[in-house]
Amino acid sequence: MEKLTEQSLVALLAQAGLESKEGDLERFEKLIDTYMASLKALHSVDLGDEEIGPTFHPEWTAK
Amino acid sequence: MPYPEKPLFHLTIHEAQKLVQSHALSPVELVRAILKRIEAVDGKLHAYLHLMADSALAEARVAEAEILQGRYRGPLHGIAVAVKDQLDLKGAPAQIRSKPSIHLQTSEDSTAVRKLREAGAVMLGKLAMSGLPSDPPQARNPWNTDHITGGSSTGAGAAVAAGLCMGALGEDTAGSIRNPASLCGIVGLKPTYGRVSRYGLAPLSWSLDHCGPMTWVVEDAAYMLQAVAGYDPRDPTSIRAPVPEYSAALREDIRGMVVGVPRHYIEECRARTDPEILTFVDRAIEELESLGAHIEEVTLPTLKLATIANAVIYYNEHFAAHRKDAPTLIKTAATARRARIYLGLLTSAADYVQAQRIRSRVKREFAEVFQKIDLLALPGQPGPAPTVEQSGPLDTLYKHLAPDFLAPFNLAGLPAVNIPCGFTRANLPAALQLAGKPFDEPTLLRAAYTYQQRAGWYEKRPPI
Repeated sequence: MEKLTEQSLVALLAQAGLESKEGDLERFEKLIDTYMASLKALHSVDLGDEEIGPTFHPEWTAK
Repeated sequence: MPYPEKPLFHLTIHEAQKLVQSHALSPVELVRAILKRIEAVDGKLHAYLHLMADSALAEARVAEAEILQGRYRGPLHGIAVAVKDQLDLKGAPAQIRSKPSIHLQTSEDSTAVRKLREAGAVMLGKLAMSGLPSDPPQARNPWNTDHITGGSSTGAGAAVAAGLCMGALGEDTAGSIRNPASLCGIVGLKPTYGRVSRYGLAPLSWSLDHCGPMTWVVEDAAYMLQAVAGYDPRDPTSIRAPVPEYSAALREDIRGMVVGVPRHYIEECRARTDPEILTFVDRAIEELESLGAHIEEVTLPTLKLATIANAVIYYNEHFAAHRKDAPTLIKTAATARRARIYLGLLTSAADYVQAQRIRSRVKREFAEVFQKIDLLALPGQPGPAPTVEQSGPLDTLYKHLAPDFLAPFNLAGLPAVNIPCGFTRANLPAALQLAGKPFDEPTLLRAAYTYQQRAGWYEKRPPI
């Protein structure tokens, strides 16, 4: 796991009053690295002025 | 009404309901046959977590008496069903809500279970799911018990395929109904978000969780959806919209229907997809065309980010939903659930908002495409069921982090159904997935039914 990610996770756990189970940070190292890379990919797309609008639209029923 | 030639536990709901209604088959006889089947094979399949044999027989006797008195309630009356552990079932333990040494007994039915009871269904008990704290034996695939069922509705996949219940309710956050349905050769329907109440469903992710039916044939999915669909004031995301007559949609006619195929996305997933599955799905799409549908290639540019956006929302909402129990979960929960907690914790607010923005974009792209088409068709799974030895506890999480066929429809809240479309050389099921417009389950069911009747895969049963 990248040092910065590990430090962040340890700090976030402490902030939440949590402690990782023994061996978990090593056990999940590859998964966490894959996840962090996925988060980067998530931000790589240009969404322009896209906002959060979780609504359905009446015109969806039209063909 | 002639008595069936096949074992009673292999009757579909559609077949059984006609016999039950005409008094040719007693619900008590039906439930006894299924209980006997469970006793015979569930030691190998591990589908049930909690079997309620006595209360099921008592409910079957009540159903029998009502039917004999002329008070027939409909196609689920006297029909034996079971539910995934995630759904509250009065009198049964809720393992997903339990902690070590605290086994929660549920005192109230979830809305979906209550509605099944009102329709006259008999409750057999609770089915296994992956990620439980007690770490029960892994459910096995009835097509080959060396293989997994897929999750997380693991027990529902096994039970429906093997005749250990006539239908089941599952839950789908990132494919958890459709994945085991695909791997076990059954029908799995994830309805539109808001169509079926989530009240009494232990949350994994509030905005992605969907409750829906898992059945042997499409007709049965229509019956079960009919029973559980509808507005529920106890679920804030439940939609107050008319519930159509789903069985009325079941006619063999898809002439003129426009079926969109996102070839670019299937290509995106090709490296992680078994070529045999792609061949079966291509054949199924050709079959839809031969039945009168128009096939049109469609493009959804942001779909490639939908699965990871779904995962980010899932893990973040999962952490928020279980924040209070996190100190215990992090010490005692199953491997995958602990991993979800760490990933949820690592997800920033900016990540969550970005995932929601992608969700808006993906929904808009779907909306634009659905102006021109009635349905989308694509694979229902990346490959056949792996063996138990081949599968690891983190496989599902890795799958959530690369484009896949299932999660985009959780993200967008669109209805999707997986139906069998072939068997691999190793005799393991393959599935076609059809997805539709919001609240347009009737079109989905009609297309799935038409294909099912032509292809006839439902005639083949697991060897167990």
